[in-house]
Amino acid sequence: MSANNALQPVKLSLPLEYQQHLFQELRAEDELVVIAKGLGLMRLVTNLLHSYDAAGNNLIIVVGAEERENAWIGEALAESAAVSMAPKARGLTVVNTDFTSVAAREKMYAKGGIYSITSRILVVDLLTSLLDPDTITGLIVLHADKVIATSLEAFIIRVYRQKNKNGFLKAFSDNPDPFTVGFSPLATMMRNLFLRKTSLWPRFHMTVASSLEGKKKAEVIELEIPMTDAMRDIQTAIMECVEVSIHELKKGNSGLEMDDWNLDSALLKNFDVMVRRQLDPNWHRVSWKTKQIVSDLTVLRGLLHSVLALDCVSFLQHLDTIHAAHSPQPGSTRQTQSPWLFLDAAHTIFETAKRRVYASNAKANAKSSIDSLRPVLEEQPKWALLAEILEEIDRDLYFEPPMRDDSNGTILIMCADEATTRQLRDYLQMMHVEPKTEHDTKQSKEAHKPSAAFMMRRRLRNYLNWKREFAQVSNALFTENQKALEGAVDPRIAQGSYKGKAPANKRRRVRGGGAAGAAPGRAANGSVAQYFEKPNEVADLMDEIRITGEEANQKADIIADPLEDMDDYFELYEMQDLVVVHAYDGDQDEHVLEEVKPRYIIMYEPDAAFIRRIEVYRSSHNDRNVRVYFMFYGQSVEEQRYLATVRREKDSFTKLIKERASMSVVMTTEFQGVEDPQEAFLRTVNTRIAGGGRLAATAEPPRVVVDVREFRSSLPSLLHGRSMIIVPCMLTVGDYILSPTICVERKSVSDLIGSFKDGRLYSQAETMFQHYKNPMLLIEFDQNKSFTLEPFADLSGSLKSVNPNEVPSDLQSKIVLLTLAFPRLRIIWSSSPYQTAEIFEALKTQQEEPDPVAAVRAGLDKDMKAEDQVFNLEPHEMLGVVPGVTPKNLKNLTLKAENVREVANMTVDELQLLIGTEAARQVYGFFNRNLIDLDD
Amino acid sequence: QALPQRSSGSSILVSPRQKGNPVLASLRSVAWEYSDIPADYGLGLTTCALFLSLKYHRLHPEYIYTRIRNLQGKYNLRILLTMVDIPNHEDSLRELSKTSLINNVTIILCWSAAEAARYLELYKSYEHANFSAIKGQQATSYAEKLVEFVTVPRGINKADAITLVSAFGSLKNAVNADPEQVAVINGWGEKKVKRWCSVVEEPFRVQH
Repeated sequence: MSANNALQPVKLSLPLEYQQHLFQELRAEDELVVIAKGLGLMRLVTNLLHSYDAAGNNLIIVVGAEERENAWIGEALAESAAVSMAPKARGLTVVNTDFTSVAAREKMYAKGGIYSITSRILVVDLLTSLLDPDTITGLIVLHADKVIATSLEAFIIRVYRQKNKNGFLKAFSDNPDPFTVGFSPLATMMRNLFLRKTSLWPRFHMTVASSLEGKKKAEVIELEIPMTDAMRDIQTAIMECVEVSIHELKKGNSGLEMDDWNLDSALLKNFDVMVRRQLDPNWHRVSWKTKQIVSDLTVLRGLLHSVLALDCVSFLQHLDTIHAAHSPQPGSTRQTQSPWLFLDAAHTIFETAKRRVYASNAKANAKSSIDSLRPVLEEQPKWALLAEILEEIDRDLYFEPPMRDDSNGTILIMCADEATTRQLRDYLQMMHVEPKTEHDTKQSKEAHKPSAAFMMRRRLRNYLNWKREFAQVSNALFTENQKALEGAVDPRIAQGSYKGKAPANKRRRVRGGGAAGAAPGRAANGSVAQYFEKPNEVADLMDEIRITGEEANQKADIIADPLEDMDDYFELYEMQDLVVVHAYDGDQDEHVLEEVKPRYIIMYEPDAAFIRRIEVYRSSHNDRNVRVYFMFYGQSVEEQRYLATVRREKDSFTKLIKERASMSVVMTTEFQGVEDPQEAFLRTVNTRIAGGGRLAATAEPPRVVVDVREFRSSLPSLLHGRSMIIVPCMLTVGDYILSPTICVERKSVSDLIGSFKDGRLYSQAETMFQHYKNPMLLIEFDQNKSFTLEPFADLSGSLKSVNPNEVPSDLQSKIVLLTLAFPRLRIIWSSSPYQTAEIFEALKTQQEEPDPVAAVRAGLDKDMKAEDQVFNLEPHEMLGVVPGVTPKNLKNLTLKAENVREVANMTVDELQLLIGTEAARQVYGFFNRNLIDLDD
Repeated sequence: QALPQRSSGSSILVSPRQKGNPVLASLRSVAWEYSDIPADYGLGLTTCALFLSLKYHRLHPEYIYTRIRNLQGKYNLRILLTMVDIPNHEDSLRELSKTSLINNVTIILCWSAAEAARYLELYKSYEHANFSAIKGQQATSYAEKLVEFVTVPRGINKADAITLVSAFGSLKNAVNADPEQVAVINGWGEKKVKRWCSVVEEPFRVQH
């Protein structure tokens, strides 16, 4: 490629016309680029970055990049730097954890270069002027679709633009969907991004289309495969469960708008998100059951996918675990369970899934009630087809070898996830191994067809072993509750589930499909019961599939790929002979294509973005022929989902184009119409008054000390918008310090529930009172969330609900307890972060400004350095759950042990030294309790 | 419904001023009686509540200050039970927040008479309660604790927790597992594997 930068010649790798066009556009001006998935967003970004990198003398910040994207950008930059031999290029520096110290960061920034910085760190550095916005050459914002008015990224852009008017600002997104939700979404988004121009690149864009649909089109063969009857039955049954769940959801939350909750939309990928979004404003008010159903829907939709993706044994295993996880504690009644488990359809799912794996027929000499089980092991239809395609490719290569071209002749198989790649690898390895048992040795003379029998038998063996262990585990886990409950509860109900070792006749599993045709296997309380085969039945089955000679010869399952010496292995094979199985992985797929240079591509599962990537790949290389096999199950959820995504993307782009066409009007009438707090807020942000530089004659501008962890919320951004000076500090006590006496702990409603549960709030309040005169608890509701704590359920309590001896469960009673415990704790109720900012302003008037140094020092041990007392949240939380660990001894543990793993591996004696005998015993028992070989 | 006669110590004292307030109709679970007290509701020896409807407050903004002054610092915990019955509550609430700081009252918001009554009942019945319920020390079974432990990292659910321990037999083994071993478990995708394995290795203390 020729260089376009007059100053510094750089080599770019943008072969297609639309890519070059877009690149020129981006070099020329600031804009928001929305591009269809698969058209090479990353490649564009890296080339752009490289063009700046090569010029040197730049300080460019990449905002909003994910971890893996950082890796890709880093690699790509290093590669292009090598290719164009740019001496000044320095590649990408990633600043992503708190590991780099403040001083080191300052030095780094002074050197310049390209940085990808986590938003939370970046905003703090900008506010503390560690990174002076004036020195930044430009900002590249990835995932622009996530930049909403109150987001951290928007805050960063605002701070940047306030001080720096000349630097460039370019935003990218490959997800057009979020730009079409709400009222004039594109205009709002543009304002958040401080950008005036949008550039839209759908697949149907003229330039894109002509670039991709030239002579060099890829050859595509579409293959539609019917599902097996069993699969279809299961799919139908799951759909029925989904439908009922949706119905229940509607019934439980009348008052809410739920028109588009129906079966069709339930198939879409973002249905969960949609339901959550609509329920979110009321999430703290909905009943426990509603939450249960929402999580059920996720499970059910997962099942819809697994029935197509997993083999029949794994699917059954998956169902078993789901069943175990969703089963009620013994003794509970219908009300507390997932409703779908009570449906006939649920029963169908479990039965059909089982019948795909093994069937039963009454024994000839049946005196007893023992049925003999024989393996069925239904194969996935796609497997046979895959084998067929591979054979066809083989024949093809033999009879009419293709012209030599630049591609490697490799066969690339693409599928949805790593699990599927493992499944396919196993299948391909073993499809020509025949399991010879006594019955069929005679027939084996016939032409051998590839089959998964061998693999499936191995899986079934593993499954049966697993199941035995699993029974023990769930036994071990759940009998405990049962023992506790048995005294209180009617034993008839209690025996319903999880009594793997109870007398066989009580645990009779009834096979719906078998001759026995009796009542379906239900637990006493009406849900589908877990079944456990009788030992001799299992023995039969095991016998049937016992390891034959051939099977023993095969090597064992490889679990861990020796990835370290991948390179060595890679050299051993001709690329010509390779079959590569890979999972879809966003923009990474482009590199896979470039590196593998496949002659044949088999898309085991449909993926719209990947098709475009193939198009881009094919069009970019004149001399590489590609044939694509594209397979999907006809009339399946998979097919519908694929079609729906393609349609949605197209619709989104159409909407965007329409809005862009009329947007100039929107911009001019910006401040008219109904006042939205978001708009009102944006209006108050005047970029001409530099952050906090209040022009009034007051001695000191208002100042708030904010805990750095609080930058995850939108409040600091809003306070900054109200021209207060934000001082980011690492605080041990409180979240916001408004004055020397006022300290505020902010809790969103969900935080509030959580911190009551684990007692965090109580100890936080305690420490606040040790250091401040006026501690305040801020209960902050979300903008657009309903401003009330009243649950949908009826409140008018019985006597029991106010009985002090009962453990209270609702929020109200906990707030009451808190205020009783801390009579001087003030509560601020705020309906939104916007409101909070105003309240803070009001509270601060006529108060002295807080002292950051004192605020940081509060709550720290005097003899320890501040740095030692900063903790990572998640491991802490995990340790806090462990029985025996109290807030007090938690400190000892975290100081002495490095991480959770170390604590888990400690012996009783080691623990004893840290936390005392009793606690040590509990902690040790928690980690070391063996759930499989349980004797009692 | 006739409530059993109790000594005044166990019932809510109500100022005659509150006569006609719908909250009284909802006070069902705890006995109440009229009494001449400076506050609206006496909820114990050291606790009292003033009732304020925002609708009223908007018309008579000075009323509540007089009432607070009349309390003369008699009670330790002084609740300002505020009923949000107007849509534009922002300005009033902001002002009340400021008031609570200066005048030493604690604001509790409610949205209906029933909820207000529930708060009053709760305050009365918890008069002598201990605070263990909010200190977070709740006994649960091993299974629940185990599930709670494993599901701390985002995205890992209950079913994953059970498959994890059933695959490894004990929690210790699960904590020590390699990513590859975890990845072969049903339902454990790459993201979950990564989260789990990094969280058990993540140091407790942030290093500088």
